[in-house]
Amino acid sequence: MQRHFLAAALIALTAAPVFAAPADAALTIPPLAYKETRLPNGLQVLSIEDHASPTVAVQVWYHVGSKDDPAQRSGFAHLFEHLMFKSTKNLAAEQFDRLTEDVGGSNNASTGDDVTNYFEVIPSNYLQTLLWAEAERLKNLTVDEPNFKSERAVVEEEFRQRILAPPYGRLEYALQKNAYAVHPYKRPTIGSIEDLEAASLDDVIAFHSTYYRPDNATLIVVGDFEPAQLAQWVDLYFGKIAKPDAAIPRVDAIEPPRSEDRRITEQAPNVPLPALGMTWLAPPAKSPDAAALRVAAAILAGGDSSRLHQALVYRQQVAQEVSFEFSDNADVGLITATAVLASGRKLGDAEKAVLAEIQRLQKTPISDAELDKAKTQLLTQALVQRETNEGKAFELGSAVILTGEPANADKALAALQAVTAADVQRVIKEYVSDRHRVTVEYRAAAAAGAKK
Amino acid sequence: MKKTFITAAALSLLIAALAACSKTPPAAATASTETPAVAAANPNDKELPPAPSPARSVAIPKPVEKTLDNGLRVIVVQHGGTPLVTAELNLLSGSEVDPPSLSGLAGFTANLLTQGTKTRSAPQIAQASEALGASLTAAADWDASRIGITVTTPKTGEALDLLADVVRNPTFAKAEVERQRSQALDGLSVQLQQPRSLASLVATRLLFGTSPYGHSRLGTPASLKQIHSADLVKLHETYYRPDNAVLVFSGDIDGDTAFALAEKVFGSWAKPNYPVPPRPTIDEASAASGAVRVVAIDLPGAGQAAVVAVHRLPPRKADDYYAGVITNAVLGGGYSARLNSEIRIKRGLSYGAGSRFQALRDAGVLLAFAQTKNQSAPEVADLIRAEITKLSSESVPLPELAARKASLIGGFSRGLQTTSGIAEQLGELITQGIDLDAINHTIANAEAVTPAQVQAYAAAHLNVNDVDIVIVGDAKQFSEALGKTYPDLQLIPATSLDLDDALPAATPAPTAARAP
Repeated sequence: MQRHFLAAALIALTAAPVFAAPADAALTIPPLAYKETRLPNGLQVLSIEDHASPTVAVQVWYHVGSKDDPAQRSGFAHLFEHLMFKSTKNLAAEQFDRLTEDVGGSNNASTGDDVTNYFEVIPSNYLQTLLWAEAERLKNLTVDEPNFKSERAVVEEEFRQRILAPPYGRLEYALQKNAYAVHPYKRPTIGSIEDLEAASLDDVIAFHSTYYRPDNATLIVVGDFEPAQLAQWVDLYFGKIAKPDAAIPRVDAIEPPRSEDRRITEQAPNVPLPALGMTWLAPPAKSPDAAALRVAAAILAGGDSSRLHQALVYRQQVAQEVSFEFSDNADVGLITATAVLASGRKLGDAEKAVLAEIQRLQKTPISDAELDKAKTQLLTQALVQRETNEGKAFELGSAVILTGEPANADKALAALQAVTAADVQRVIKEYVSDRHRVTVEYRAAAAAGAKK
Repeated sequence: MKKTFITAAALSLLIAALAACSKTPPAAATASTETPAVAAANPNDKELPPAPSPARSVAIPKPVEKTLDNGLRVIVVQHGGTPLVTAELNLLSGSEVDPPSLSGLAGFTANLLTQGTKTRSAPQIAQASEALGASLTAAADWDASRIGITVTTPKTGEALDLLADVVRNPTFAKAEVERQRSQALDGLSVQLQQPRSLASLVATRLLFGTSPYGHSRLGTPASLKQIHSADLVKLHETYYRPDNAVLVFSGDIDGDTAFALAEKVFGSWAKPNYPVPPRPTIDEASAASGAVRVVAIDLPGAGQAAVVAVHRLPPRKADDYYAGVITNAVLGGGYSARLNSEIRIKRGLSYGAGSRFQALRDAGVLLAFAQTKNQSAPEVADLIRAEITKLSSESVPLPELAARKASLIGGFSRGLQTTSGIAEQLGELITQGIDLDAINHTIANAEAVTPAQVQAYAAAHLNVNDVDIVIVGDAKQFSEALGKTYPDLQLIPATSLDLDDALPAATPAPTAARAP
């Protein structure tokens, strides 16, 4: 499924920012010099010309994600993503792989709460071919029953591989399911086996016609191309696709603030060490507080020198692994802390230790050096991300989906740089300390030989 | 996402294997993609995809090299574009030097480098590297231990100071050894309940028995308890020395600057007056057992079964190495390769199936894998064996071969687009003892492999009746069916598996194993 992958990618991308390492005026990150156009049918087109390597990244980001799964069809947006690699009017099933992998390129796709994106890196002489092919599956998808059933079985294996087989797969699943009261973000992107089994070919057709339309898509091209030629091809292949009259349905659920703390117990087989997860609701990605939350997360859990790692893993040895993340969504976000215990330790000790570090961050001074360290880490991640054409395209796409504006990819870097210690303390108080949390206690099921 | 596992896992491994050619100079080669795969499957009534325009050539990085007086080789690849520098010290000894009773010692040693030096505590080292925006990584692999860091250009000097300190001055303090021990034991307990990682560990043991490459690089529950500070000090003294190491720089740095930095932090690193011990020898006797060995590890309640099939192959230095790379590419290197086609695309039995050719310095391994629902494990094992059989019984059609080569070469080229990717590819060549000039011939060598060479390679080195299969999962859901195909199936509960024992390999090879 994509949550992992997308979660990882988006966090890396959007959390990356900072123009210059604070203590280091010598280093700057060049802005993403993109061009933006919009076709009359509503397709948004972003491009960055760069001839450093003879490759080009082509991506289409559809503004539809698992939050748009139909009722009783959790996991559907993701299942649909898989079906986009099957047949179209003019393409055989898997022919996308012939046009990418078989000529020295690569392709993949992912689904998240807010987005479904399709991405390729190809030798640049195949750019025209790929633009044709992306337009083809936007307008001419023709999935048949055997392909549908076979790919649904693959997605069910994906569910088992991500959720059931790894010792901590069900923890993450439980955290998302219990994070939101009303918002469809509460449905894990991978869905459930039952809902996947209930899906039909009719659902596929309806979903495609509802959401896969030019005015619900952003095309991103980064790399080795000539701008005039690109514009001509985009117009030729995408320009003729009609924009439907119907409005695009949008999720309008409003997640209420939590009114109380909740505690959930989850058990699973083959869990060698108990684990703990906690969530808090967070502001959306476009909030002015997002930058301070990214810095706060880096101070708490960015690397071995971070506060939670030093306290829980190094000094107290109560946990063998700890995390604290801000997931920025287009709508209400989420802050998640997890700890996998060290053997012989108790969940309550880890919980206390995490909460103590959160309180210390809020209440005691943060040194300039620590603030600089967090920003430098985030800056360096941004630079690493921007080494490749694909990485640059991901930055633009994430900014569009999460905040509506590609320019925010660079603005987020500047915002990070401006974060002060007081900002960090304020957002930790406002979104964590003063808010209710949902706690998941995760243990081995008794049959599999439980430990405490 | 659609293909994460294949791209992330299989392809990058493959690329690593390919990169395993050597290293130096020339300028440009052409990623020829003569396959008009585009037109492949289109009846006349369909609109055809536009044909590609002429291809541009791929630039291959040009390393420069210098050897310091103490024997330390320094290799630099300047790579423009982004103000980043990767520095990595490749030590030419890895987990293969673990003593038999101390599995995991080289990995333990590498992990402890960053946990305290004569002048810095563990928290100070983490603080210092992360203040540079980086993370300092240290780990042992087969044939190599690597200590690396990637930073923005202005931080290069400080980063190298830190890297040299942890390589040269680790203290292996008792408190840190104990802390590392409990973390390693906990980490191992998680690995041992993941079907895929457990299956790989058992398969490796089957393949190499008690000889070097056969044990767990992460250690075992028993071996980790026996590692003492003195063992770490001894391994460090024996192998961490300038004449057993190669320092690689890649990114926004020129040769002279890098050589000067290397001299500054490593110039006084003394070379001992005794030679590096000879490499341990691999047990060739276990290379061909002459029988299919099938081991099922029971992990009750496992949500899926991991199926792993392994076979010995020639080492990296073999003359027919590229035929091996292409043979693996056909079998399981990438989304459209045969294993994923048969297991995922045609039958929906897995989220991803593939194979990797791990070409080590003294031996090679073919490892094919898939995860599937427990009941399907026997079917997946049969499918893997059938595809291995086909490699030697049938010639690979030319269009398929061209597609697999293009995919492989494309991955190789993309790997050269980042500073860390360049360092990784050079590191592989260095530690496998291959001349760096190979990097200039990789594309041509891969292109040159013919269908006859693939078939000959498979016939010579890949006997399906020597394939060992390990399945880890909820055995009650598949052991009966598996036992019908493989009457000599060994079924071992995960709870009674002893990874220090050569048990699976020591068991006499069944003589009645059946081909599929």
